[in-house]
Amino acid sequence: MEEQLKIDFDKVIKGLKLSDENIKFRRKNLNEFIKSGFPNRRKEEWKFSDLNQIINSNIKELTFFNDFSKSFHVEDSIYINNFEHNKIVFINNSISKIDFSYEKKDKIEIIENLNSTKDNNQTNTLVSLNNALLANYVKITIKQNYSLNKPLIIYNITNKELDSKTINLRTDITLEENSSLKLINIANDDSANNFFNIHQNFKIDKDAILKNYKIDSKDNLNIKYFFNNIDLGNNSLAETFVFSKGSKFIKNEINCNLNGEHSSAFINGIINLDKSKHHEIKTNINHLAENTKSYQLIKCVLNDASKGVYQGKIFVNPEAQKTDGYQLSKALLLSDNTEFDAKPELEIYADDVKCSHGSTSGTLDEDSIFYLMSRGLSHKQSRELLINGFLLDVVEKITDIEIKNFIKNIMGIKE
Amino acid sequence: MLKIEDLKASIDNKDILKGLNLEIKAGEVHAIMGPNGSGKSTLSNVLSGKKGYEISGKVTFEEKNLLNLEVEERAHKGIFLAFQYPLEIPGVNTNIFLKTSLNAIKKSRGEKELDAIEFLKLVKQKALDLKFDEKILSRQLNVGFSGGEKKKNEILQMSILNPKLSILDETDSGLDIDALKIVSEGVNALRNKKSSFLIITHYQRILDYIKPDFVHVLINGKIVKSGGSELAQELEKKGYEKFN
Repeated sequence: MEEQLKIDFDKVIKGLKLSDENIKFRRKNLNEFIKSGFPNRRKEEWKFSDLNQIINSNIKELTFFNDFSKSFHVEDSIYINNFEHNKIVFINNSISKIDFSYEKKDKIEIIENLNSTKDNNQTNTLVSLNNALLANYVKITIKQNYSLNKPLIIYNITNKELDSKTINLRTDITLEENSSLKLINIANDDSANNFFNIHQNFKIDKDAILKNYKIDSKDNLNIKYFFNNIDLGNNSLAETFVFSKGSKFIKNEINCNLNGEHSSAFINGIINLDKSKHHEIKTNINHLAENTKSYQLIKCVLNDASKGVYQGKIFVNPEAQKTDGYQLSKALLLSDNTEFDAKPELEIYADDVKCSHGSTSGTLDEDSIFYLMSRGLSHKQSRELLINGFLLDVVEKITDIEIKNFIKNIMGIKE
Repeated sequence: MLKIEDLKASIDNKDILKGLNLEIKAGEVHAIMGPNGSGKSTLSNVLSGKKGYEISGKVTFEEKNLLNLEVEERAHKGIFLAFQYPLEIPGVNTNIFLKTSLNAIKKSRGEKELDAIEFLKLVKQKALDLKFDEKILSRQLNVGFSGGEKKKNEILQMSILNPKLSILDETDSGLDIDALKIVSEGVNALRNKKSSFLIITHYQRILDYIKPDFVHVLINGKIVKSGGSELAQELEKKGYEKFN
């Protein structure tokens, strides 16, 4: 792999107009990645999801360079209709369209300059890989006191042209003081056997609000690592909702740094799997200031031979008095061959805090199925109703009503 | 309508029903009374198709073998069980459940399914008849309902689904006298020449409000005595002792 990486790295560098400084930065990151390689189960954070093994057993000859000079046409039907929105479209992970036509132009700054990427001080080898090979980058700044009129949808569309590739993508979004953004990430994959390393970094200033809804519902055989870093200023709020269903493998890693007093982070997630899919949600919530709040609710429905993992960490710094931290995970195991792993971690160094966690797993209640069937519902209908019921309270946590209904629709959830 | 011949049922090698015979004709109301552990709930479970029992004997419903039908097929044919302990189903809206249920049954009979507006009209009227606060219908099914509300909800479902044979499994237990009256009125309103009832109860109290045509005493998995409604009075006075 090292050989291939070096060859592909040179190809990547050649195709981009980069400053010497940036090339140096990339080379440093490349060496860091080469040293450790893809993470495996010997690393504590990866013990339930051995990425190295998953990539090796699913992708025969992984390469790291992709020719972005080709452009692809996308049918309009791929976009969500009857739902007004701004859009950023990635096709095969190359930027194809940026459209903020519902917004005031001077309130949104968009930069695509690869030389502007900086070190994000993460000790994560996949961040190093992303830094080294990044070929498509967008930085968006929402100006002070501006709330977008319509949500922003980021489409990640891939087609069959993409095969056995590693794709690195990064978006940085800054919400200036008292601004707000509703963001929906939608994956739409017709490709298979690729590894996507997709990073989004958010800087949320004082009083700003981010709502980020991440939807991966279309069946596909790609391996994906999503990394979100969220920095929160005073009295700011970040709501993240994850719907994890379509891909062969996903690890959603979400870092929240509650840097400002009275800031809060909400993470709600659904993992709904069949076949031999394997999805993980991993969170690191860092309470770093007083009166900060975090809330996490994760529900998992597992069919066939699928595997769901939730690792939730709450860290409370000595200064972060009056912290309010909560996490709960629940799993429905619908076949004997499914597996659910939950690892709650609480690391608390302040003495005046409220933190709680819980985790349950089980199967559908046969008596409830009997009750529903005795009212004329088929076994299948009864199961679906109970599963929908199990998931509904996570969806109900979505605070934006329009987006909630939109997501219920995508998920096929009926009230 | 319903004919039970030599019905035996066991669970985990424990014999519960030991050769039960019963015939219910269209329009009749039968009451089965028995002490704890006599097999009352097993009888209602077996008739509605609950899994887990070893069963022998013959049960026909409208001349067709009932025992090889699935739970939902029995509901489609017009059998309704009002549960002794209605289950709480989190995340399932009561109204949507009722509509799904009614339309599943209508569909199985080749009847036209109700749309949302038609259904709402129907359910509102039925709720009003049962003095059932319709706000409850927008809540999750039975979740946080009081004991009385749960039982009323069973009767509401019964009146919406309009079954041919309704089995009421200890519907009176846990009901205060006002709720019992309302529930009984609900049942009486559904009495007609075509629909039959099997009221399973421990106490005679409910039979003051729903007058049965026949009363059967179930002891140790068998019907040991049958008679008219006067038998219920006798049981109330003398208890089950003398039948043991």
